[in-house]
Amino acid sequence: MRNCEDIAESLGVWLDGELSLADAEVIRLHLEGCAQCDGKRRQLEKLHSSLKSLFEANSPRVALEPFWRGVQERIAERRTWRQGITEWVRSALAGPAGAWAVPAAIVIVLAILSVDSFRKLATQRNNFAAVESIDAHGRNVALWREDETKTTVIWLYHNQEGENESSEENTETRPSF
Amino acid sequence: MSRLRRIPKRVLLFSYLTILLAAYPTGAAENQSQTVRLKIGTILASNQNDEIDPKLNAMKNQLKVMKYRSYRLLKEETQNVPWQGNAAFDIPGGRSLVVTPQEFRNKQLALKVRLQQGDKPVVDTTVRLNNGGNFLLGGPPHEGGALVLSISATAQ
Repeated sequence: MRNCEDIAESLGVWLDGELSLADAEVIRLHLEGCAQCDGKRRQLEKLHSSLKSLFEANSPRVALEPFWRGVQERIAERRTWRQGITEWVRSALAGPAGAWAVPAAIVIVLAILSVDSFRKLATQRNNFAAVESIDAHGRNVALWREDETKTTVIWLYHNQEGENESSEENTETRPSF
Repeated sequence: MSRLRRIPKRVLLFSYLTILLAAYPTGAAENQSQTVRLKIGTILASNQNDEIDPKLNAMKNQLKVMKYRSYRLLKEETQNVPWQGNAAFDIPGGRSLVVTPQEFRNKQLALKVRLQQGDKPVVDTTVRLNNGGNFLLGGPPHEGGALVLSISATAQ
């Protein structure tokens, strides 16, 4: 059951007929049993009827046509996506909501900074060894990476002139990758 | 939101800074590594028979990449070495392998590797591999086949 404070806050929208049926019924029942809130309702209704009669008395003298035309134009106006985002950002940063902008910005910056780390971690999961430099001192060298077993092989060929290997040893130095 | 408004701005500022410091990866754990455990397996690859040493079962699939028919583990040696320190391993055929761990970054170790035949350098290479990972260095002829060195490193 709502208390009188809640009811008083909702009286305006109740009178405007903007509440759901269930909420409107709760308020109606409360008003039936609460003289204080019912008094507030009557005050509001009186204020409303006074304003209405005042407006009706003066409306012939007020040029409402340009005002309604302006409202209709604003409703019909299509906002670009850029305007939508700008307005959304503006509303998000306004007031206390702005307090979240700082941590959100930190998270975004960290995410951007971490992209490189995650890429390196992903590379690491590939389990490939990366050869950064190699000097075989004039020998032929093959570098081979095999996907299935994630194996990196550096293979040295020893059949060049000047090698001190025996002829027997030189026969088996070429793998058939 | 109203609660957030009640928090003093100074407290909020320090909270943000704490989040920033806590979330950004510093790699502190990597810097704590004092030594590197280097393990060198010396394998003879040949086509003399079809036998694969049972001790090499764990890396059988890696070795098969080279398409030899036979693989035999000649020796296996492990050394702990500090960063930037040299670890020398005797390799059959009068060769030696000198490995120098360079750095540990992004869970990967950089190793400087030099294979020598006596005093003559055979190959100098720098390889970056995963912590606990390995790579193969092969080719030097030996006993009618070729030597294959499995070089693995683990930061301690």
